[in-house]
Amino acid sequence: MTRNFPMVANLSSFFTETGALARFAGRFFKELVSPPIEFREFLRQCYQMGNKSLLLVAVTGFILGLVFTLQSRPTLEEFGASSWIPNMISISIVREIGPVIIALICAGRIGSSIGAELGSMKVTEQIDAMEVSGTNPFKFLVVTRILAATLMLPLLILFGDFVALIGSAIVENVKGQVSFTLYFNQVFEALAFSDLLPATAKSFFFGFAIGLVGCFKGYNSSKGTAGVGRASNSAVVYTSMLLFIIDFIAVFLTDLIYG
Amino acid sequence: MKNSNTQNLRLGIFVILGITIFVLAVYFIGNRQNLFGDNSIIISVFKDVSGLQRGNNVRFAGVNVGTVKDIQIINDTSIAVSMRVDERTMNLIRKNSLATISSDGLVGSMVVNLLPGENNSGLAPPVKFGDTIASISKIATADMLTTLNTTNENAALLTADLLKITNSINKGEGTLGALIKDEEMAGNFKKSIEGLRQTTQNVSAMVNRINAIINEVSYKESVAGVLLSDTTAAKQIEGIITNLEISALQISNMTTNLEQVSYDIRKGEGTLDYLLNDPGAVDKLDATLENIAKATKKFDESMEALQHNILLRRYFEKQARIKQREEAKPDE
Repeated sequence: MTRNFPMVANLSSFFTETGALARFAGRFFKELVSPPIEFREFLRQCYQMGNKSLLLVAVTGFILGLVFTLQSRPTLEEFGASSWIPNMISISIVREIGPVIIALICAGRIGSSIGAELGSMKVTEQIDAMEVSGTNPFKFLVVTRILAATLMLPLLILFGDFVALIGSAIVENVKGQVSFTLYFNQVFEALAFSDLLPATAKSFFFGFAIGLVGCFKGYNSSKGTAGVGRASNSAVVYTSMLLFIIDFIAVFLTDLIYG
Repeated sequence: MKNSNTQNLRLGIFVILGITIFVLAVYFIGNRQNLFGDNSIIISVFKDVSGLQRGNNVRFAGVNVGTVKDIQIINDTSIAVSMRVDERTMNLIRKNSLATISSDGLVGSMVVNLLPGENNSGLAPPVKFGDTIASISKIATADMLTTLNTTNENAALLTADLLKITNSINKGEGTLGALIKDEEMAGNFKKSIEGLRQTTQNVSAMVNRINAIINEVSYKESVAGVLLSDTTAAKQIEGIITNLEISALQISNMTTNLEQVSYDIRKGEGTLDYLLNDPGAVDKLDATLENIAKATKKFDESMEALQHNILLRRYFEKQARIKQREEAKPDE
């Protein structure tokens, strides 16, 4: 029946995959709370995801702040509201643009790397070998990676936001003769806990989504080396989509709570 | 192992850095909202808070001293606003201070401004924790719009009336209409203006002549000039006027006396009255004068006889010689 209705087939596979993902997530939580904890592997993954992404995030964040300020400045100047630039930029970056852009960058870097790594381990039957040798591959490979992604992403986002604000402050300092002290005074004048806390909370979910989808796609990859590429690619695509869905839900909830 | 340690160190630095950024952000945002440090609470009750929110700034003399902690509706006309204010500024805010809500700039958020109270009854004591201070409401945008609406309605009525008036004028009704539309009146008006212009010209010429006359007056030499400009002359004139006044007074007294005299005369008192009013007196006087003339003549004759008398002749001759000598003296 599904062969005659491709749309139904697609929808069916979507729900099947969503169900499998949910089961995968459930297994993650189950394995998370059950000892032993692969702490060494967890730290290694933290280093790989956190420190190794730092430069990428810093450059992206800096350019983000720089470009965003340069682009907004002429319009705001037209309205005589150039003194509102720090307020506007800081709220935009901390609330929305910073977390989403950096999460997408990390989805590209971390998600694809997890997908490719686990996918290649899967097709080369390393995972099966681990099972045979008595090591729990899920605990060792998946739990550590998802946990590391969940914990590292908020830090990367905070770091990225900070660098983006420095980039913005440099533009304001050069173009608008606004001192760094005044700029950051205005930034913290504009920001409230309702901006920082929900953004930080949702960045945990972003990290979890990146780790979860990356591991899921890699862990379930098949069909040889082509499957590795597909796993890596679909990990990034699905994660990106999931990030926007999470962002929408987060904004919706934030609006309900602080609205 | 060494490699793993380096990784852990780097990871540690990264994690600490990230957490530090978060903690600092929380601290600075919290500090802005006066969540840390010593704070106190002041309450003010407003009728309308104009969209004030929790976390909005509280300003004292333009300086941010706190934030709005809570907004509670007490009843339909009273809204209590609790403000978290820096403890250090509490001794500057007096109990008679006033709170007012205004907008921070044209498009800014709302702020609570604390204004010093009127200093009529000396310096009020500083506020304490939980004190309620009075509030004043500035003209809100809604009030302005209501006023503007009334003004618009009035303007509509005015324009309607104005339309009626202009219609009447166009039809030539009423005084103003006649003034604008009536050609005869316009002619008259034109003539009046012509006459007025002529008069003005005449007046102008007259003024010129007067000016010329005034210019011709020599202030130093002419009487008018001296009168107008010389202060000494003015003082002299003043003296003269004073003397004239005295003289007038004396003349007045004299006139009174003369009146009395004439009255007496008319009443028949005194010698003059006898002379003037008694007709017999003239005859007597006439006879007396005649007698005197006769007596004088006789006296002359007697004197002539005496000159020829031997006893007195020498005396008279001596007198004649002295007289002759005196008359000769001026000729020399």
